Amino acid sequence: MSKDIQSPTANPASSEALNPGRREFLRASTALSAAALMSLVPPGVRNAAWASGSDAPEKPEVKIGFIPLTDCASVVIAAEKGFDKKYGIKIVPSKEASWAGVRDKLVNGELDAAHVLYGLIYGLQLGVAGPRKDMAVLMTLNHNGQAITMNNQLRAKGVTDGEGLARLVKAEPKEWTFAQTFPTGTHAMWLYYWMATYGIHPFNDVKVITVPPPQMVANMRVDKMDGYCVGEPWNARAVHDKIGFSALTTQDIWVDHPEKVLGTTLEFVQKYPNTCRAMIAAILDASKYIDTMANRSEVARIISGKAYVNTEFSVIEGRMLGRYDNGLGRTWQDKNYMKFYNDGMVNYPYLSDGMWFLTQHKRWGLLKDHPDYLAVARAVNQIELYKQAAAMTKTPLPKSDLRTSRLIDGTVWDGRNPRAYADGFKIKV
Amino acid sequence: MPRSKDPSTAPEPLRVMIVDSDPERSRNLRGALTLAGYRVVAELRESIALPDAVQGLKPHIVIVAADSPDRDTLEHISLTTRNAPRPVVMFTQDGGAETIRAAVKAGVSAYVVDGLSPERIRPILEVACARFEAHQALAERLAETERKLAERKAVERAKGLLMQRRGLSEDEAYRELRRLAMQTGKRLGEVAETLLAAAHLL
Repeated sequence: MSKDIQSPTANPASSEALNPGRREFLRASTALSAAALMSLVPPGVRNAAWASGSDAPEKPEVKIGFIPLTDCASVVIAAEKGFDKKYGIKIVPSKEASWAGVRDKLVNGELDAAHVLYGLIYGLQLGVAGPRKDMAVLMTLNHNGQAITMNNQLRAKGVTDGEGLARLVKAEPKEWTFAQTFPTGTHAMWLYYWMATYGIHPFNDVKVITVPPPQMVANMRVDKMDGYCVGEPWNARAVHDKIGFSALTTQDIWVDHPEKVLGTTLEFVQKYPNTCRAMIAAILDASKYIDTMANRSEVARIISGKAYVNTEFSVIEGRMLGRYDNGLGRTWQDKNYMKFYNDGMVNYPYLSDGMWFLTQHKRWGLLKDHPDYLAVARAVNQIELYKQAAAMTKTPLPKSDLRTSRLIDGTVWDGRNPRAYADGFKIKV
Repeated sequence: MPRSKDPSTAPEPLRVMIVDSDPERSRNLRGALTLAGYRVVAELRESIALPDAVQGLKPHIVIVAADSPDRDTLEHISLTTRNAPRPVVMFTQDGGAETIRAAVKAGVSAYVVDGLSPERIRPILEVACARFEAHQALAERLAETERKLAERKAVERAKGLLMQRRGLSEDEAYRELRRLAMQTGKRLGEVAETLLAAAHLL
């Protein structure tokens, strides 16, 4: 193994063959994954190493799309508070007007990544009602913090909850109209799930329309709909403006439900893995910052600005702090308020979360046949990259890629038998 | 140009709806479209009236700005009214040639650059329609192929059932199915599927 037998023209492979020490090291580091090794190195040194070595972000500036909603906070804070710089990237948040626009811009590369509805990414992966493209979920951005709002006419008829609505729909059949935000998105799925729990068929018993989040309140004001499901602050806004009340929160449908994700294309992940890892790490740091409750008012102030959500600070702040007022005289401190980190519980891209949206797409006829649930979720959710970023940011990891939840109708979802789960609902298409 | 959807020779001009919050841009577009031989059935300023307008006016094409929030509403409409989907052509402020090419390639929709001239509008709409029709044709062909495949499988299984239950040869089983199909005026596949469905009850 002495140097003198090495010819000066030796290619890397043969020089490696002559150097078993180096080869052993390479094999060990591949098996352990770079991130696991890095976690052994002190943080200061480690960050410098990620930024300067071969793991340096391939694309140092990333344009991340977002829709004006409270849950865009971690993307905004990562940029505003400079968490991005720590990982050698610059995040440029880009305000978007519609989910269709976010989708198109992700597909054609105008956006590098986006704050996006979980279900939209899966809809795109399977080509539900539109283009098909291999997509990626890098991390979950938040749990909870959406709600279903009803208007004052329903209240006047004595309807304040799902049971009341079910009674009314049967007793007075007419075009009761409810809005959600995108056909394959999370709000459509929360709305349908909630209705079906009370025996209301979302396609046969009521009329469902799609309305962009910032236009919900205006549409309800002119009686274009009787209710809607959307993210905050647009439910708090309806209470504030006295045009409606919150019938229930989405955490009442599913405690700690997955909501928005950091989405991109698989192509982007393959081309720029280091940039992706840096994005996840920066947003994990921002998520941690937002879940330190002492920082929340400041966060609410930042995102209320014109460049972001563009609505009154007070309308955003209350529910961000878990202070709820449903507009019917009930106020409470909700322990399941919108969470961005929760010791990493929020951000892990659980395969069971991804599969859940597929089961609902199948349930409501958006998918005609059962997909290979697990294979799709494995292809989309970038668990390895996430784990590396978690190691960089000391974010705890769960033990399993699946988690178990009991939803509002009592059904348990653990991700183990998605086909039977999707077929098991009484009300479906 | 020998295209079936040529608005000047078609018996009825293509019906176009414009959704744009900018009145001046909308007016210019209307002028350009009318000159190009299209019939503009509505100019909407806001999404509130959108679902009703699409249902009532049945436009062939909806033109909407790329940066319009109303696109989500349109998305839902074209999903729910499967029998009458329509291409959505958008115009955008930052429509660089590269962006447009990428969008078209991705199968998103055709992009039209802002401030377009009347002579440019028709070729762009024609491309959009052609692409849309091609996509529809492809989707229909796929559905047809899948249906045929499913029917063939059903016929095979129905033959097997007849052979087993009635002791027929494969040929006889096939003739029996064909006879039934002719008698009832149904496709062979349909008869086979009915037979299989009924067999479950026995």
